[in-house]
This record gives sequence, structure tokens and C-alpha cells, in this order.
Amino acid sequence: MFFSFLLCLFFTSLAYGSDYRERLLLRPLPHGALLASFNFQSNASSTSFEQQNFRYFPRSLGQILQHTHTKELHLRFSLGRWDAEAWGARPWNGAREGGTGVELWAWVEAASDKEANARWLTLTNALSGLFCASLNFIDSTRTIRPVMTFEPEGSHPPNALGNLHLLHGNLPHEVVCTENLTPFLKLLPCKGKAGISSLFDGHKLFDASWQTMAIDVRPVCTGDGSECVLEMEQTVDMVLDIERSKRPRDNPIPRPAPIEDIRCDESKFYNSHDSCMPLAKSTEPAWSLQDVFGRQISGACPLSDANDAERVICVNAVPERTFEIRSGAAQRVAEQVAPDMRCTALPSGPEEGLDFDLLFSDQPLTPPVNLTRPRLHAFRSMTGHGQERGGIEAVLRNPLSQPVSLVYMESLPWFMKPYLHTLNVAVSGNGNRDFQALKETYYRPAVDRERGTHIELLLEIPASSTLTLSYDFDKAILRYTEYPPDANRGFDVAPAVIRLLPNAADIASTSADERQKGVYLRTTDLLLPLPTPDFSMPYNVIILTSTVMALGFGSIFNLLVRRFVAADEVEGATLRARIAGLKERFRSKLQSIWARHSGKGEKDQ
Amino acid sequence: MRVLLQLLLLVAATLANAEHTSNWAVLVSTSRFWFNYRHLANVLSLYRTVKRLGIPDSQIILMLPDDMACNPRNAFPGTVYNNADRALDLYGDNIEVDYRGYEVTVENFIRLMTDRVGEDMPRSKRLLTDDRSNILVYMTGHGGNEFLKFQDAEEISAFDLADAFAQMWEKKRYHEMLFMIDTCQANTMYSKFYSPNIIATGSSEIDQSSYSHHADNDVGVAVIDRYTYYNLDFLETQIREPTSKKTLGDLFDSYDESKIHSHPGVRYDLFEGGEQAARTRLVMDFFGNVQNVELESAQAVNDTQWKADLQQLEQLIMATKKTRNVTEAENSSRGNEDITNPMPALRMEKAMRVNEEDSWAKRVGGALALTACGVAWFAGRWIESPKKP
Repeated sequence: MFFSFLLCLFFTSLAYGSDYRERLLLRPLPHGALLASFNFQSNASSTSFEQQNFRYFPRSLGQILQHTHTKELHLRFSLGRWDAEAWGARPWNGAREGGTGVELWAWVEAASDKEANARWLTLTNALSGLFCASLNFIDSTRTIRPVMTFEPEGSHPPNALGNLHLLHGNLPHEVVCTENLTPFLKLLPCKGKAGISSLFDGHKLFDASWQTMAIDVRPVCTGDGSECVLEMEQTVDMVLDIERSKRPRDNPIPRPAPIEDIRCDESKFYNSHDSCMPLAKSTEPAWSLQDVFGRQISGACPLSDANDAERVICVNAVPERTFEIRSGAAQRVAEQVAPDMRCTALPSGPEEGLDFDLLFSDQPLTPPVNLTRPRLHAFRSMTGHGQERGGIEAVLRNPLSQPVSLVYMESLPWFMKPYLHTLNVAVSGNGNRDFQALKETYYRPAVDRERGTHIELLLEIPASSTLTLSYDFDKAILRYTEYPPDANRGFDVAPAVIRLLPNAADIASTSADERQKGVYLRTTDLLLPLPTPDFSMPYNVIILTSTVMALGFGSIFNLLVRRFVAADEVEGATLRARIAGLKERFRSKLQSIWARHSGKGEKDQ
Repeated sequence: MRVLLQLLLLVAATLANAEHTSNWAVLVSTSRFWFNYRHLANVLSLYRTVKRLGIPDSQIILMLPDDMACNPRNAFPGTVYNNADRALDLYGDNIEVDYRGYEVTVENFIRLMTDRVGEDMPRSKRLLTDDRSNILVYMTGHGGNEFLKFQDAEEISAFDLADAFAQMWEKKRYHEMLFMIDTCQANTMYSKFYSPNIIATGSSEIDQSSYSHHADNDVGVAVIDRYTYYNLDFLETQIREPTSKKTLGDLFDSYDESKIHSHPGVRYDLFEGGEQAARTRLVMDFFGNVQNVELESAQAVNDTQWKADLQQLEQLIMATKKTRNVTEAENSSRGNEDITNPMPALRMEKAMRVNEEDSWAKRVGGALALTACGVAWFAGRWIESPKKP
């Protein structure tokens, strides 16, 4: 809770007047991991936005939003898995994070559902061009309209809310790579040339254990609603493995260290010259921004808000963990702003030199920073067997000593057909046998090839207990042409989105802005194996069928048009033979008549 | 005198018409899966080359069917190499892929070339060429006699390709085209072309395979094909700057069959002026961006005209401002109405709440209905039953 208070202190928006500001938070995590959390915020007043006067707000995105009447936009590109056991609660309470692949949700203004769908389609297509991702694959089968999971983050006029449509789509299979980072950087006022964004290097970013890029556009109004700005927030969070990131780029393959450099545990009985139990590390690894990100920061972004310059880079570590600031020629010391937080500014002018680096030295192990414990752990897995039936089991564990309410949302592809009557919610733990955990169910069944299933559940988990949610589903058989080229890999099922509803204690301790953003977590995505045909089979079938048809047709044709005769009758079959036969019969007849005549004569004689 | 001037202008116009005013590149790899790394490396090498020679990202259509740079099997994350010396990272920091993954299909390729796309298609995914555009089309993948496989799932035939180019010519979508293909039996792919102004070249004859150049042991697979390798070799060593005057003839003459291990072919007969004209075209006409600045005729460039244009523009701006003010005023008045009379949209497409409270009532109802049916059936049987004697 304390940490979230700190976060709130440093990351909630300051004055609405400031137009652009950026922040970087570095937090060393256990086991040699490092969380780097970048945040960029650019504002445009709503009047200048409407008149298409773009200063810090990127024109390319602004025009798309205007064209599609999108009032609030959230776009996520994510990779990897957040290890909550070791790394604690998620940054931004999970509100700036997406499921694996690409996730997009937006509030679109439209008079009817049909119009909203058309605008949504335009929006996804336009964004696919802007961000080099296959967002145009978010069609009606991957789009849902969440009921409880998402609330608008921005302040929309109350009379407009009736016409705002929330649409949500995801592409769990989409890869996230440098071509997505390039347009992301181009949206920033300093384009990755100065300021903290100069640290972005695709080679390190996409080598992270976990990373997520987020774009959030929302209208923010002052208390009385007289003055509004359109706020665009770009966020990149990543967890780097320091050892891995320090490997040189041209030789990243880990090779065993020479035996002289390995310190062995000599207390082991098998310890000898050829067997060794390496000792656990007793020192913190030495690293610098240059080591980990491959670059230094090249000065402050000159467009960023000057009032805010003192706290651009913050290190969230225990005070014992020391570091040195190398900022051009000037001497700089980090300012202690909270017990575990030290902040510093970036060099702003060429007179003092622009290169900026943080050097963490090799030093004895320090106690880890006090991490916030996550409020919920969630795991989801596939059960069932065979080509036809499957099941989903989600295990949600509440580690805290107070009950938690949550919304669990799943958006399933149409070829996965769940049975709602098999939905079973069970809570384990003492005295929870008769606990009714399932409060509400929202459901929209799938229609083949038109839309997917949408399930939303309102659940409550009692203090320190585990909820198990399960249901069965059928796997559909696709048409031959509907299979992707790599069908045998399986089909990705989007992560479940879980929103933790605030309890009374949270409402007291968090800011209004944080409450509006909400607390989220997502499960990992699933790989669903569908029955796949042998794709060369149609050719075999065509060949075999043709053969059978040729054989059948040939014999029936023969039977119909030919006359079958015995071998000794073959001579009589030809025309000439027939004529000859006729002649012969005629002659024999004549002869017999002649013979009769002559016979008579003879008799007469 | 006037006649002479007009004649001169005419000559200038025809000269200008013979030149192109924009350059586009369509670079297509058609192979999915990690072991086809070299095909993506081929196409990315060409991408780097045309970008180096000046074609901007907005005029390059890059189709990559699989992700090699961020592939979990790649020991070098975010990187694609085309040489075992790993001197040049083809993926780099700045790359824009227009079609990727499952989007690389025969249908999308033909739609792109002929510009038969949906209304929502963003501009970055369209080939916005005209009759003064030179296009470089480079394709690589696995192919055979008169076909090229897309993602191991479908094929484009030489006839499809020829018809697509013919349609492009009819729609005035290109001025001149250089078609390059690196696949097995590649020369069969351009054998069916019949539209003018195409120079075509391929890596191997019918019944010949096209081979890879070498493998990188740390990447674990072959990194480039021979034909592309020697093309790049020429482009990197001979075309050092955009002013290079090397011709396509020089490029085609540089092909060494003993090095490529197959017989590369060139087709000139469709080109206006035949072999001779085609061979004298500059390499930069297709691989680089147009360098010449073309002035409009002298009449258009006079003081009064641009001043008149400016005035017209100003009037236009004033007019739109006026209408905007009017509509804004209307909007604001309408907005006030909205507040008094909010009209929530009709929502049909949403998940419905599933209620379980009345499930017992439903069960009882069902049981009652069943019993009633049973009673009716028994009653009918009793009435219809024959009377006992």
C-alpha cells in the first residue's frame, strides 16, 4: 500500500497546463531482474484538438481518433509473463498492461450498434496501418462489448455517455517486435532522439522477460468541467534480466565461464578439482544504463515540462544500494524524495554535455526493496482430452486476510463452444463449503463464424482462500480453408481479464485518478489444439476418387454400349460376316427350293 | 518563332514523359517457419538496399509472413542477419512492415498490386502508384514450375501474376517495372507475362533449384540465397551513391553462373525498345528514388498565377471558417437540447445477464407441463379405447 502511495505521489498527473512530460522508474527486483517503467504524457487542449492544431499530441493518431469518433482509446502490445511471486504487484496496478499479443479497447461515439461496429472496423484498420500490426484481424468474431470489466478512465460529459460504445478486441497470437516500437517512438515529441526514450532499443526491449507497451488516450477535465484536455499517455514497462542484457549484442549466446572464475562451495563432500557446487551470489551485480539498455541517455527532451525536470529518473531501491550519476561534465547527486526513492534530472543543455548514465557498482547484497504483495494470484489452464471435448480451469487465490470482489471476463473464439451449465465455481478453505462466490453472470453465446463467446462473472473470494472456476467446451471442426498455415501449432485463446473491485479500505487510501484506472490482472493465454486434418489429404482424395470414378464409369459405359458374345461367335458379329451369312442363308434357301423342284421332277420322271 | 517554341515545349514534354516521377518497391517473402530464415533475410536485405538508395518507407511495401527477429528460436533477439560475419543488422531500429504474418496471402498480394482494397485500408498498406511510377517487385520463397508457394498453404501461378500485371498496366499503375524473383525454377514465373514495359529476371531455369549461399552456425540455419547474395554484392560494391550511373545491363552481366549455381534469366522482349533500351536503364531507376526535379512549363510559373492561387486559398479558408462557426453554433444549441433530452442509443449487441433465481420455478413449470401432456395422452387413450365386450 505504501508503494502505491509512492507511485501515486510521483506518477499522478501534475498540473493540467503542462503539455509534455516523461518519467522513468528503475526498480531492481530479486534474482538479478530490473523493472524499467517509462511513462510519457502529452496533452492537447480539447479546443486545439478539435481545430486540428497538434503540438505534442501526434497528428497521425489524432486524425484517426477524429475520423472514427473515438473518445477514449487503449492499445496494448505485450510479451512474456509477469512473475508475481518474485516481482510483487504489477506496475500501475495492472492498468497499463495488456494480455499477450495485442489488445485494444475503445469508447466510440455512435448513434447505433451498427454505426459503432463500422467505426470500430475503420479504427482497427487505421491502427493496423499506423502500428504495423495485424489489428485489422479484429473483426466481429474477436470483438466483444464488456459490461462490467472496463469503466471509462476519462471524464466524458454525462449526456454523451449514452452514445458511447465500448468495444474490445484482442489478438493473442500477434507477435510484438521492432516494427511496433518504431511507430510507437514516432508518436513521441522527441522521437527517441533525446530524453528517456533514447534508451529504447528493440534488441533489448524484445529480449525482456516481460514487457508491455501501452497507449491510452482519454479526455481529462478540471473539477468543474470547464476546461478539458485530451491526454495521451504512452507507457512501456519491462523486466530485464540484468545478466542477460549485459551480454554483448554480437555474441549473446551464453558460454560457460572458465572454471577459475567459478567459486565453489567447498563444504560439499564431493568438491574436488573436477566437481563443483557453485556458491550462491553474495554480491549485487554491477550495471549501468549503457550495459543494460545498450545506450546512454542523450540529454533531456527539450520539449518536456521544465517544472518537472527534477524527477525525470527515479530509482526505487533501498538507500544502501549506491549508484553514481555520470551526467556530462557536471556533478549531480540524486535527491532522496522518499525512503526508497531517489530521483534526478537529465542534463538539459549542450554546455554541460548531454550523455547521461547511472552506474551501479558491484557491492555486497543489499536487502530487496519492500515490494507490494499482489492482491490476487490467477492461473488458468486447459483440461480435458481428445479432439472434441475440453475444459478450462481457472484458479484464483486470494492471499490477503480480507475478501476480494472481482470481475472475471473471457472472450473466447467462436470455435471454442463452452457449456454454461457446466460452469462450476468452488471455494476451498475453512468454512467456505456453502459460500456463494458467483454473484452475477453475463453471457453472450457464440455464433459460428460471426462472433465469439463473451462471459463475464462477478465473483467474491473470502479471505485467504482459493476459488476454482471450471467449465467444459466443445472444439468445433473448421472448414479446410479456415485453417491458418501453421494450424498444427494450435490456436491461441486470449487471456482472461480480471478486474479487482475496490473495497472500502482502498477507496480511502487511493487517489481518484487511480480508482478511475482500476486494478487489473490478466492470466496467460492458452494454446488450444483443434482437430486438424492432414492437409495433403484432399489431393489423395482427389486422386483416389478420380481413379474410382474412372473405373466405375468405364465399366458401366462398357456394359451399356457393348454386346457381349462368346468367343466362337465373334465371326458372326461383323457386318461383312453378317452379309456373308445372309447370302449363305439366301443361297441355301434357293438351293433347297431348287432341290425341291428338281426333286419333284425326278419324282415325275 | 511561336511554332518553334511550341515544338520545343512538345519535345520537352515527351522527354519528361519518358521519365518516371516516383519509385516504389514491393518486397515479398512468401515463406513461413524458422528454417526459411534466409527468405526473410533476402527480402530484408533488399529493403535495406532500397532504403539506403533513397526510397522512403512510405513507398516500400514490405511483406513478411513470419517473425524471425523476435522469434524465440533466434539467439539474437530483434536482429536478422544475412551474413555469418554478422556485420549488418537488417532489422535495425527503424523498420516498417506493412503486411505481416497471416496477412501475407495470394489474395492480399494481388489486391495490393491491382489496388482492389476495402475502403478502410490504410494508405500505408496500399500501392499508390500512377503511370509515372517505376516499381521494383522482388519475390522470394519456395516455388516450382510456374508457381510460387505462399506460407506453405497456397500458391500463386505465373498466369495469376501475369494477369495482375496486365491489369496494373490497364489501370495505368506503372511506368516501368523490374520484376526479380529468387526461387526454384524462378524463370518460369515471368514466362507468362504479356504486359509492356516489364523487365524480368529470375534466379534459375526450369528444372533447376535455387540454392542458399551459406549458413550461420549460431543462428543455426542458412542466412541468404545465392542469387540474392550476388545481386546484393553488386548493389553494395558498385552502387555506392544515388548518383551512380551503372545500368541494369551491368547488373545482369555481373551474374556468374558458376557462383550462383543456377542459370539466371532475363526477359527483355516486353520492354519498349527491347533488350538495348532495357539494358541501358539505370539501376537507380528501380532501386533508388527519383532524383530529378521537374519544373512545370514556363507559363505556369508566373507571379500573377500563384498570387491568384493564394487569394483563392484564402477565400476557401474564410468560407470553411464561416461554415464551421455556423455548424458549431448549431451544435452548441443542439447540445443544450441534448442535455434536456438525452437519447441513449439502442443497444442490442451485448451480453445478457443470466439469472439463476427462478430456475426452480422453471423446473416446476416444466414438470407440470410434462405431467399435463401425460394426463392428456392417457385421457385420449381411455376415450379411444374399445369398449370391453
